[in-house]
Amino acid sequence: MNFTLSGILAVLSHAIPPFLPLILALLALLVIAQLLGRLRGYRFTAYRCVPATIVALLAGLSTLWWLPQLTGSRLAFVATATDWAALVAAALGVALLTWLVLHPLSYLVRGPRRY
Amino acid sequence: MTRHLAPPRMDRRQLLKLGLGAGAAGLLPLAGLEATTVPTRAHIVILGGGAAGMAMANRLAMRLSGARITVVEPREIHHYQPGWTLVACGVWHPDRTLRSNADFMPRGIDWIRQPAVGVDAEQRRVSLADGSIAEYDYLVVATGLQLNYHLIDGMSPELIGSHGIGSVYASLEGATRTRDAIDEWLARGSGQGLFTAAPTPVKCAGAPLKMTFTTLSRIKDTGRRDAFRLDYLTPGEAMFSQPWVDDFLKRRFDDEGVQRRHHYRLSAIDPGARQAEFTFVGPASEFTSHHELRQAEFGREGEMTEVIDYDFIHVVPPMSAPDVIRESDLIAREGPFRGEWLDTDIHTLQHNRYPEVFGIGDVIGAPINKTAASVKAQAPVVEANLLAQLQGQALPARHNGYTSCPLITDIGKAMLVEFGYDNDMAFLPSFSFIDPKEESWVAWVLKDYLLQPAYYAMLEGRV
Repeated sequence: MNFTLSGILAVLSHAIPPFLPLILALLALLVIAQLLGRLRGYRFTAYRCVPATIVALLAGLSTLWWLPQLTGSRLAFVATATDWAALVAAALGVALLTWLVLHPLSYLVRGPRRY
Repeated sequence: MTRHLAPPRMDRRQLLKLGLGAGAAGLLPLAGLEATTVPTRAHIVILGGGAAGMAMANRLAMRLSGARITVVEPREIHHYQPGWTLVACGVWHPDRTLRSNADFMPRGIDWIRQPAVGVDAEQRRVSLADGSIAEYDYLVVATGLQLNYHLIDGMSPELIGSHGIGSVYASLEGATRTRDAIDEWLARGSGQGLFTAAPTPVKCAGAPLKMTFTTLSRIKDTGRRDAFRLDYLTPGEAMFSQPWVDDFLKRRFDDEGVQRRHHYRLSAIDPGARQAEFTFVGPASEFTSHHELRQAEFGREGEMTEVIDYDFIHVVPPMSAPDVIRESDLIAREGPFRGEWLDTDIHTLQHNRYPEVFGIGDVIGAPINKTAASVKAQAPVVEANLLAQLQGQALPARHNGYTSCPLITDIGKAMLVEFGYDNDMAFLPSFSFIDPKEESWVAWVLKDYLLQPAYYAMLEGRV
């Protein structure tokens, strides 16, 4: 049984709608944080915030624990190479999203600093 | 009673889906989206609007122009039956398996909301419950199968949920009451659990195993594993038709302390006394040839019986084609499926004696593949062959027996087992990144989140 690209899109058309509010909320959070920061002069290459980076890393690491739980499973059942690839990819995604939100927000709170 | 195909109307949900699909459609090669239609004035009747019937209704509606298509399906609600094991182990809320049949029924189809009570294959007529007749040029039999609880003395579906009796197959309510019966057993803190298998082909042959594994998982979570005894009683020597999986299951059950008892058929149950009677069926009744153990012969298998006490029992009933098919000309008259299942060529899915009749899904006489995944593989074959038959051409498509079982081995992990008639697991896995021989979290996530959307896309004829 193989899925074509159009078949995959058909499956996603049923899989995504239940999560659409969550996806849109996260996207809105990201866009708003970035937009507000940039309106106040935020540039991620010109601003450093170590706490935001640490929190983002911790958020990513915590994914290894809560994502299996969220799916009704547990970390002990993450066993195959595919399992770990999927979980690590999710952790990286969470870390990146967290950083992209927290970094401009910290700029708004702390104001412009060199690092 | 029937009418010609009308232009489709879209509700908001369908519009949203179309938008999602259209956004990426530009990325696709045009050839992938093309589908030639076949003009015809034929009247095609589809018996059943479950997974197989609905998939065929949508596929034929897309491929035929001018045809009259009638679906005979009395139920308004569509049940996602592959989710019932997740309901019975408490992972899913029952409502998650429910959709309206109207969500999937293609526009322009004549939907007869009553059961068929007879089929006259010689006259090409289907008798309906209200006494009316639907005549057909072509018939697609997609009735599903029948659960024969009455062949177990003392057993009826109404008992599920009481007296420690569970049975995930009976219905959504049955799955929910099975969950409650397991909860009650676990709350007792100890006891004997019996998990049975049936001496006939069954739909979702992995379900009895899943019920054993998920219940074991819940028992281990209580921290009192040693206080519970689990026995798995099966009529055959094998527990699963696919040899590699069979070996795996036997090893796993032995490692987990689940007692395997082979050649046991559940023959009677005494709910009040919480006792089950098993009949020894003999070493010749292998799982893969158990259809030789015919229902009419159940009463004279031998004298050996054993009565076992239980605190919880999971009952798997004998199964067959529905009576409306068994009592018709369409039933197999010889071979291993005689008197019990639809007489179809297991590769072309065309009826062996009536070329205008095709079978799909649980009802067909086939050694394996009574799953939704099988329907996904069978639907394109029936579509292609029916269209060829309609045009007087040779049948071009053959079904290889593909079936799949997302075998839950613990609450939180699963194996995505795939195989076919050859039983050699030589299929390219549907997901090349998932090894069908490994227990995996990703396979569990697929079962929990993605297979249901794939099922609904299949109903719509889009995969």
